[in-house]
Amino acid sequence: MSNDNLHDLLSITHLTDSAYILKMSRRGLQFRAGQHILLGKAGSIHNREYSIYSGDTEDFIEVLVKEVEDGLVSKQLKKSKPGEKMQIEGPLGFFTIEPELIKTAKFLFIATGSGIAPFHSFANSYPDINYKVLHGIRHGNEAYGKKDFDAEKYISCTSGDKSGDYHGRVTDYIKQHPVTPDSHCYLCGNFNMIHEVFDLLEQQSVHPDQIHAEVYF
Amino acid sequence: MKYHLISLGCQMNLSDTERVNTVLHQMGFSQTEDENEASVLGVIACSVRQKAIDKVYARISKWNRMKNRKNLITFVSGCILPSDNERFLKLFDLVFPMSDLPQLPEMISHYGIVTQAGLNYQNIERESIKPTLTQNNPKPSLFQPLTVPFSNPENIKLNPGKNIEQFWNVEPTHTSDFEVFIPIQNGCDKFCTFCAVPYTRGREVSRSSAEIMDELRTLVDKGFKSITLLGQNVNSYGLDKKGEEITFPELLRQIGEFGNQSGKEFWVYFTSPHPRDMNDDVIEVISHYQCLAKQIHLPMQSGDDHVLLRMNRKHSMEKYRQIVFSIRRLIPEATLFTDIIVGFTGETDEQFDNTRKAMSEFEFNMAYIAQYSVRPGAASSRWEDDVPKETKKARYHILTDELTKHSIKFNNLLIGKTLRVLVRGYDRKEGYLSALTEGKIVVRFESENKNLIGNFVDITIQKATPLSIEGELAEQMVTQTIVV
Repeated sequence: MSNDNLHDLLSITHLTDSAYILKMSRRGLQFRAGQHILLGKAGSIHNREYSIYSGDTEDFIEVLVKEVEDGLVSKQLKKSKPGEKMQIEGPLGFFTIEPELIKTAKFLFIATGSGIAPFHSFANSYPDINYKVLHGIRHGNEAYGKKDFDAEKYISCTSGDKSGDYHGRVTDYIKQHPVTPDSHCYLCGNFNMIHEVFDLLEQQSVHPDQIHAEVYF
Repeated sequence: MKYHLISLGCQMNLSDTERVNTVLHQMGFSQTEDENEASVLGVIACSVRQKAIDKVYARISKWNRMKNRKNLITFVSGCILPSDNERFLKLFDLVFPMSDLPQLPEMISHYGIVTQAGLNYQNIERESIKPTLTQNNPKPSLFQPLTVPFSNPENIKLNPGKNIEQFWNVEPTHTSDFEVFIPIQNGCDKFCTFCAVPYTRGREVSRSSAEIMDELRTLVDKGFKSITLLGQNVNSYGLDKKGEEITFPELLRQIGEFGNQSGKEFWVYFTSPHPRDMNDDVIEVISHYQCLAKQIHLPMQSGDDHVLLRMNRKHSMEKYRQIVFSIRRLIPEATLFTDIIVGFTGETDEQFDNTRKAMSEFEFNMAYIAQYSVRPGAASSRWEDDVPKETKKARYHILTDELTKHSIKFNNLLIGKTLRVLVRGYDRKEGYLSALTEGKIVVRFESENKNLIGNFVDITIQKATPLSIEGELAEQMVTQTIVV
């Protein structure tokens, strides 16, 4: 087997009982923030797509994994130990920001759960980017990576309790705080949220060309 | 010695099968349609639908029963999901990705069937397969088969498309004298949620343009008339090579230039493009060169932006509309084909109606309409298939009616015109031959002259039906031929 896409697992950080960050050696892997990789344990024929969580200037690569009930790969990866080899394919995907917009445009990032990963990568790759991020979660402890965002630009929307910055779903927040039509909106997470937000943004006169979505499934 | 090969699925699998045939022929095997005569039995599998995979399980079950009375070797390759791979390893003697086809003689020779090709391979170091042999049985033979399959999970690559270049070097055994496929790319990076191809064929890998052009020149010299460039996303051709390979429009331009210089008459098609990577460069180059067929297959899948999002298609209806507008502007004579899925998970009546409206707006000449069924391994298989069968069926009929309405309108406009067509064979209607126009409209005409099969002729159209036209051979002195 060719070993040109094998990466060392450097660490595994458990954020909650079911969410964790895998940090791996980068080995020169070039990617654009927002892209994803196919990740599996070395020697396994099973892999899954995961958005890259780390910034493109880091010398490692991170992914944020949410363990899937009855899942296969997310459970295998959770048991991994530092030093193990991981197999990476990619990077892949088109959920990226056009370079000419990074310093000029206004961005709204809307995520549910582990859909925060590409936005974490955006924020860490482009320090000067003008953004606001809405993170839809059930409870405050699921605010993955909150500390890595500018506190004034990150809003957690908790639907299960009042521990977040806003109590309610991201759709409720958007209804109460309309989006300006010049915003470039990036949506990542489960498709029910994406569909509802897509409709809301259209109603608020955001042009569909300025709405980008990455559906998690 | 004989082999029996079953090929399931799409044009890509048929094209792959032509290369499998070459390897087996070179080993001295001849093909048989009767599996009872064969000592090697193989399947080129397809994972698009569960039915196709069920066929593989049914077949191997029968073949393994046949082993009780006969020595056989069984193999499976093609589009296989990782989960099926694991099961196939327990059922088939050989399981290998298509990229490992050149090693098939060696694999078979290790089972004890000695052929010249196999002997040649025995002298070559093949690290990827040696460990399994030595671990399990150092001297396997046809009469004392391995107790476990030749292949094992260690040898099934994470990216099944890796090393596909060596597969492309195998010369195909063509099944037609005038119609042929040229694979230009393997794999897919798009991850549409209804499709498992990224998991069965791996990442997009473009074939060398020099090789493609060599193969094309050879085929044209041999007299092939209809050549289809094959790939899962042909218009992202070259992008995986990051500047070290030409792009798809440039490949088409080179083909067009060759067509102009060759003095031969032939049509070049491609399938299938992805709307995300379709641009005016592709359309412009088609409009400039005579040999580039004026027929475009542009999968739409749905006419609703929400459904497209759920399908992870990465294009909007606005983008699709712009492409169709460019096609109509730059190649007004082109026919337009599409693929549509009705009843995809969560598709509402309103969303379906947007697809119906899009059908009406774009006036497709042909649409391959599928009622959504769960495709194992695809991302959407994790979602509830929540549109009732009856609803899917009804939507299918509504779109079929819509298609018929537009195609008959188009076909009626052809009556009285003389069209260039490629004769493909006998028609179902006795005394008639069947042909295709450059735009792939089916034409039938009265003739039993088998010498016309595989040749271009001019047909004057007299009748039109929704999905075909009928005419008669034009007089020798035709002064004007139009392209449709």
